[in-house]
Amino acid sequence: MLPTNTHILFHEFDYHAPTTLYEATELLAQYGDSARPIAGGTDLLVQMKMERRQPAHVISLARVNALQGIALNGDLTIGATTSIRDLHQYLTSKLQPPFASLQSLGEACNGFSTIQIMRMATLGGNLCNASPASDSAPPLLTFDARVTLKSKTFERVMALEHFFIAPGKTALQADELLTHIRIPRPPHQSASAFIKIARVAADISQVCAAVRLTRDGNLIHDARIALGSVAPTPVRAAAAERELIGQTFSAALAEKIGKRAAQEIQPISDIRATRAYRQHIAAVIVRDALLRAWERTQ
Amino acid sequence: MNYQILGNNYQRKDGIGKVTGSETYTSDVILPRMWHARVLRSPYAHARIISIDQTAAKALGAVVLTYADVPHLKYNERIVSIPPHLFRDRTVLADKARHVGEAVAAVAAPTEQLAEKALRALKIEWEILPHYTDPADAQSENAEPIHDAVLLNGEMKPIENNVAVARTVNVGNVDEGFEHADFIFEREYLTSRIYHAQMETKSCVCDPASDGSITVYPTTQSIHNTRQLLGEIFNIPLHKVNVKRVAIGGTFGSSIQMNSIIPICVALALKAKHPVKLVSTREEDMYDHVRYQTKLKLKIGVTRDGKITAGHIQALADVGGHNIQAYALLSVLAGWSASLYKFPHLRFEGKAVYTNKTPSCAMQGFGNPQATFAMESLTDEIAHELELDPIEFKLKNYVGLGGTFWGQGPSVQSIIRSDGVPQLLHDGAQKIGWRARPKAGTQTGRYRHGIGMARGFHTSGAGAPKPGEVIDYSGAFIKINEDGTVDVVHAMMDHGGGTLEAIAKIVAEELGVPIENVGISPADTLTTVYDVVTHATRGVYAGGGAAHKAALKVKQQIFEYASRVLELQADSLVIEPDYELRQGVIYCPNFPERRITLGALAKQLQINSWGTMAAVESLRQVNCPPAFVTYFIDLTVDTETGHVTTNRAVIGSDCGTVVNPAMAIGQLEGGLSKGVGYALVEDNQWDAQTGQLTSKGFWIDGKTPAISEAPFNENIITHFSDTYEPSGPFGAKGIGEAATNPCAAAYANALYNALGIRFTELPITAEKILRALNAEENREARVEMREMEAMAVMQAAE
Repeated sequence: MLPTNTHILFHEFDYHAPTTLYEATELLAQYGDSARPIAGGTDLLVQMKMERRQPAHVISLARVNALQGIALNGDLTIGATTSIRDLHQYLTSKLQPPFASLQSLGEACNGFSTIQIMRMATLGGNLCNASPASDSAPPLLTFDARVTLKSKTFERVMALEHFFIAPGKTALQADELLTHIRIPRPPHQSASAFIKIARVAADISQVCAAVRLTRDGNLIHDARIALGSVAPTPVRAAAAERELIGQTFSAALAEKIGKRAAQEIQPISDIRATRAYRQHIAAVIVRDALLRAWERTQ
Repeated sequence: MNYQILGNNYQRKDGIGKVTGSETYTSDVILPRMWHARVLRSPYAHARIISIDQTAAKALGAVVLTYADVPHLKYNERIVSIPPHLFRDRTVLADKARHVGEAVAAVAAPTEQLAEKALRALKIEWEILPHYTDPADAQSENAEPIHDAVLLNGEMKPIENNVAVARTVNVGNVDEGFEHADFIFEREYLTSRIYHAQMETKSCVCDPASDGSITVYPTTQSIHNTRQLLGEIFNIPLHKVNVKRVAIGGTFGSSIQMNSIIPICVALALKAKHPVKLVSTREEDMYDHVRYQTKLKLKIGVTRDGKITAGHIQALADVGGHNIQAYALLSVLAGWSASLYKFPHLRFEGKAVYTNKTPSCAMQGFGNPQATFAMESLTDEIAHELELDPIEFKLKNYVGLGGTFWGQGPSVQSIIRSDGVPQLLHDGAQKIGWRARPKAGTQTGRYRHGIGMARGFHTSGAGAPKPGEVIDYSGAFIKINEDGTVDVVHAMMDHGGGTLEAIAKIVAEELGVPIENVGISPADTLTTVYDVVTHATRGVYAGGGAAHKAALKVKQQIFEYASRVLELQADSLVIEPDYELRQGVIYCPNFPERRITLGALAKQLQINSWGTMAAVESLRQVNCPPAFVTYFIDLTVDTETGHVTTNRAVIGSDCGTVVNPAMAIGQLEGGLSKGVGYALVEDNQWDAQTGQLTSKGFWIDGKTPAISEAPFNENIITHFSDTYEPSGPFGAKGIGEAATNPCAAAYANALYNALGIRFTELPITAEKILRALNAEENREARVEMREMEAMAVMQAAE
């Protein structure tokens, strides 16, 4: 028979709907590896139907209010179950400098494309799914975002860079929940940009790239480049970044750095794109994102 | 013409139900004691079943169905073709899997989950056979036969070299035609095997009754053909087979037939003695149907001044594991080609070959998107080579007013009596800025702009003066209720395009009653007269034509009874809507004070026990007028990513009288949306090793463009010609399939305009565009290099 389908949830599971963070972490402590938290479900439900994940316990975070919402208090703190649509609306309407420089994250939210997915999907879910193609991860990596992981008894904070381990695998322990994503106050004179290339608009990327530039006159004071769908996890292009810092910005430099970033990545060929196309596109969109971000710093 | 109802926009009768989700589709049908079914589908592309161990499945309480339990009559799910052309090669469940996803067993159980569990408990022993994903391999000398023989008109016809069917059509003497040509152009085009991607997956509910009758709620485009085929397969008299019309969630041709899951559901219900529901998963659906992939080799001869002298077309179609309508496909490939341009001499050679892949079936345009892509690409190229404006070339050579149109291959022909092509081309060219388009191949830089055009058509139905190879007629029953409202009982399906709305409007217009007073009755096969199927863009023209014929009969009765009540001659009466009274009002223009509403008349009839005003009529249209469409596409290519952005689309339609303006525009916009996917994105690939879809049938990897990338409304410019089709109801003809047919060619031609590169293979993906650009650069570089070398040689010689 055909191996799997996306119609029938074949495996039985217990469904829990805690209302507090404590209850949620308690359930996680109790069920550990056999449990899986669910937020919007846009990834998890599909994976369960395809039988790529078969949790015995599904813990809904929908009623845990503490995980929702966005707050600006020195850092920008985003609750893990904030929907992509709410985040997008917040980023595109409410932010003043220096947080107005988070344009790339707004563009990444837009990359989710359809209103249905944007309403259901959450930022925390997008990160915990640990897809190499996550749209939200590259911008957050360029912002030095940190994630708060909480168990029943312990809370820790780590750089997002260390959060991704492998496709579908994060640094979360079995009893831990991602509660918040924190973006530190961006430097002044900074701006960002995100570009995604996909077969059609409502699709995960063939390649996506986010950059953040901080300027000092005509010089690049600081630079961050991150890419998605080019490696087992979303990645920074560290060597390309280093070659930018301290330089005078020019279109030729952006061109060169795009190519440099493309050399740093090791994409694969799959149903969405060939390796050669990915490598080519990576250079193009890193360059374009650099040009766009630099223009935005003016 | 001035119409009371036609040409106006009204809220759709099914609109609120559809947008609020309260409309009932097959998957919403829930019956008492209903069980659920699951189908076991082959993971192998070609394999014989040695044995099926059902013990564990039965222990779970499931009813199990295998080849041994079903009728072994070979059937063809699409009974539109007449018996001599109906190739029957499948049974309810297969004894041999001929493609991945072929149904070989099925189970029913009280819940879907239990059914799934039982399905997984079935143990099958397979004998794996060699399989073929490429028609060339399937035809090789020692290839394993996919079918040994098929049933044709009651006799078994052996299948040789896996060739399902071949067909040759000759008009004139093609060799002579080419002798008169100054230039001969030859090109090969390849189209892709795309999935219909209709919203609703194929589903069915079957309710068996104790008297041996069955009631079926299927996903289908034809309730009557479903009924007849079920009656034949299960040997149940037709009065005991009732097939209900249920709303359908889009189809694009995928349910043109009695879907193969329907008899499986029926067989399970009969065995379980329970109502059974079977809902296909998206993955099963993707393994169920695709558009015919077609390789078309075109050879066209032209004179120096741009007159076509001859055409030679060789077509190879990939049938997949079952032959649904390959004979008809070859017929229409010949017909569409012969009707696009005046070929004084034409030769068509078509061959359709079985492969171990998903069966191909009709999809919006049935062979026309393929033929038009090739023909409109090559004629654009010819015009360019002859330094003629493609529009001029088309006007010089196209088949228009007075010409012969092949609506459904050589056996369905009619004379064209309405033709909006010159007007559409003229208006479209003006709207897009045709004269200001770039010169092909002159642009440099990252973003390149292109404008391209293509034209085409689809038939309106498959009617013709004499019976053809396909059946085509409709029927309608209309009655006047005792309050002056009207019931229209019509078996036709509405796929979402508004066919039934149009039928209601045609009836309201003829009867002179407000549109709100006309109801479309729920329909089933017990209470309707035969309608062949909603396909071939025949809904308004043929289905609406039948309703119009019945309405004329009823109108006659209205006037006769009104003449008795009003004491005026029937022939002097008229009826028209009165929007204050919300009634049709009957009166004589000479004595306007003597009037009666249709409601009052109907009530009077009842009080007097005179009877009901009603009529039932069947209609075969004796024409199949072409619904012409023109496409102008304005696009931008990002030469660094290969991505194409549609800036503007100008789509012109000659559908005769426009019955539903908003919905007609919607059809054109939908045709564009579907066409863009075909032109640029969609392609089902099969893994040659496993015979599986590379997407494994998962929708996350079977991509189609969506609303997100559609041009904004103001950039999709639609326009209509002022034509009147004399044979259509109120001058109307079709639109639905025509709306998509020229789209891919218009994109290919616009890409040529932008890049100077001809694309002959669909889809023209971003990666393919980049590769072609690189090849072009390399070619130019090589030419330059050779020139430099030559120069160097010359210099050295000097």
